[in-house]
Amino acid sequence: MTAARHKREEPVDISAWAKSLILFGMGIYLTLLILTGNLDNYINQRFAWLVVVGALLFFVLGLTALNRSLNPERSDHDHHHHDHDHHHHYHITWDILLVVAFPLLLAVLIPSRSLGIEAVNGGVSLNPVGVAGVTRSPLDRNILDWLREFDRASTPAQFNGTPVDVIGFVYREPIHPENGFMLARFTMSCCVADAFPIGMPVIADDAGEYAAGGWLRLRGELKASTFGADILPVVFADSIERIDEPRQPYLYP
Amino acid sequence: MILSSIGAIDRTNRLKLIGLSLLAALLLSSIGYQAYSANRDFALVLSVFATRFLGIFVEAVPFLLLGSITSGLIETFIKSDDIMRYLPRNRLGAAIGGAFLGLVFPVCECGVVPVARRLFKKGTPVSLGIAFLLAAPFMNPIVFASTYIAFGFGPVFIGRIIVTILVAVTVGVVVGSFAQRSAVLKPISLGGAHDDHAHHDHEAPSTRAKLMGALGIAGDEFFEMGRFLIFGSILAALMQTLVPQESLLALGTGPVLSVVFMQILAYVLSVCSTVDSFLALAFVNTFTAGAIVSFLSFGPMVDIKSTLMFTGVFRRRIVLYLVLLPFVMNLLAGTVINLILGYV
Repeated sequence: MTAARHKREEPVDISAWAKSLILFGMGIYLTLLILTGNLDNYINQRFAWLVVVGALLFFVLGLTALNRSLNPERSDHDHHHHDHDHHHHYHITWDILLVVAFPLLLAVLIPSRSLGIEAVNGGVSLNPVGVAGVTRSPLDRNILDWLREFDRASTPAQFNGTPVDVIGFVYREPIHPENGFMLARFTMSCCVADAFPIGMPVIADDAGEYAAGGWLRLRGELKASTFGADILPVVFADSIERIDEPRQPYLYP
Repeated sequence: MILSSIGAIDRTNRLKLIGLSLLAALLLSSIGYQAYSANRDFALVLSVFATRFLGIFVEAVPFLLLGSITSGLIETFIKSDDIMRYLPRNRLGAAIGGAFLGLVFPVCECGVVPVARRLFKKGTPVSLGIAFLLAAPFMNPIVFASTYIAFGFGPVFIGRIIVTILVAVTVGVVVGSFAQRSAVLKPISLGGAHDDHAHHDHEAPSTRAKLMGALGIAGDEFFEMGRFLIFGSILAALMQTLVPQESLLALGTGPVLSVVFMQILAYVLSVCSTVDSFLALAFVNTFTAGAIVSFLSFGPMVDIKSTLMFTGVFRRRIVLYLVLLPFVMNLLAGTVINLILGYV
């Protein structure tokens, strides 16, 4: 054990600095996520406070680690009371530091984006997520609200003539009709790990002009109609407007 | 004594680290292959992966920090013998007490082994020590909070509590009924003369120094545990990004197969119990509810890294029981949940 410690004496000091650097880096990264609003790409905004706590704790731990690197005698003095913790200091090796720095590397190298059409794996669902909340008036309903209404309804024809005003991105499958697509959103309960694509069918004369993945604001009326293999409440579009991705791209069930 | 066991863990971990790095490299190159074969833009696939990975990481990391700091505080401030005095001594009562002891010692599955060892040395009944060892990594306020945030107060949260207590108490009583205390711990861990916290008595550091010590330990704990979170998140994110949903559904809908798969995954991933709920979220759309509950109740009890820590403290036969009994019982519980919920 003693021999092993001597061998590692050199890198230990540098890795102590690297440790505080990574801890501060993480704190700064979380702070920037909050300040830029990019946090909304990753987690439900309900839990943003957790990330604030995380950033603060990173700064506290970073300062402690920095203090240790600056005052090595101090921590020598500490030896007495946590003798059995020696392994902590000697086993934070370069490989561990590299692994823990990986999230920072990704964050710096890859521009922050929300999940879009590329993240749809296995189709967009017509079934709502979670339990139905308060019923909103038709023009205030988003895609998730609509799917919940459809789920409760006895027949697709029940919504004939109801006006719709929703936003989402274009999603196509070969089984969709020529003049149709699905307008989709990702739902997110906790974080992107549980993000799930849902959508409602749309029929429009100029449907073919809209690129897959592009964001649209769509106004129209519902009418029960054949879409794919089933008869569903389908949006017959009156006006379609290309828009930027909304600041909060996900729907929170 | 604990140094030698930690040394063994570290060697194995380094091998594992190399193995996992290779795996990660392989899987990262599979992003390239996927992009190429499915005619998707490599940058877009990579960006989806980055979003999924960072999402899990950002949501989980505050809990990992809280867990690390708690671990540091326990290490420096808490004496176990004060609490031991109030616990029941008969086998079943002790096991039940042990299952709830995590509420007082909020430790994750890495922190639990040294604390359990300390309890055994203080003369605690076997059933209490074992039940504590298995239940505490989940039965504590921090993990309650992360599970609640991930799943809300629903079937997964309640199922996780019930299954964890049932399995921990049963294994505690079973092992306690045939094993004497001396047959549980390795002789090297039994030697009572040297006690971890004995030095506290001849030198009492100031509270401030102790707090600094606790935070220092917390920083190191974060790095020790953080890599498991990161490997686990990489695998979960890659899987969600690359594996077609139909393949996952094929694996994830069998009432027994899905549970077996998720338990093996929990064992291999070795993710800290404070954050495993967020990884489990990646499977909620494709796997059975029983498989999710078993992943969450089995993972904190036993995984690769805790098994390695067990071997440093417990006798080999006991380690075998500690791995196999929870595996079988959680599998049973997960299957029963699936049958009740009608996944057949």
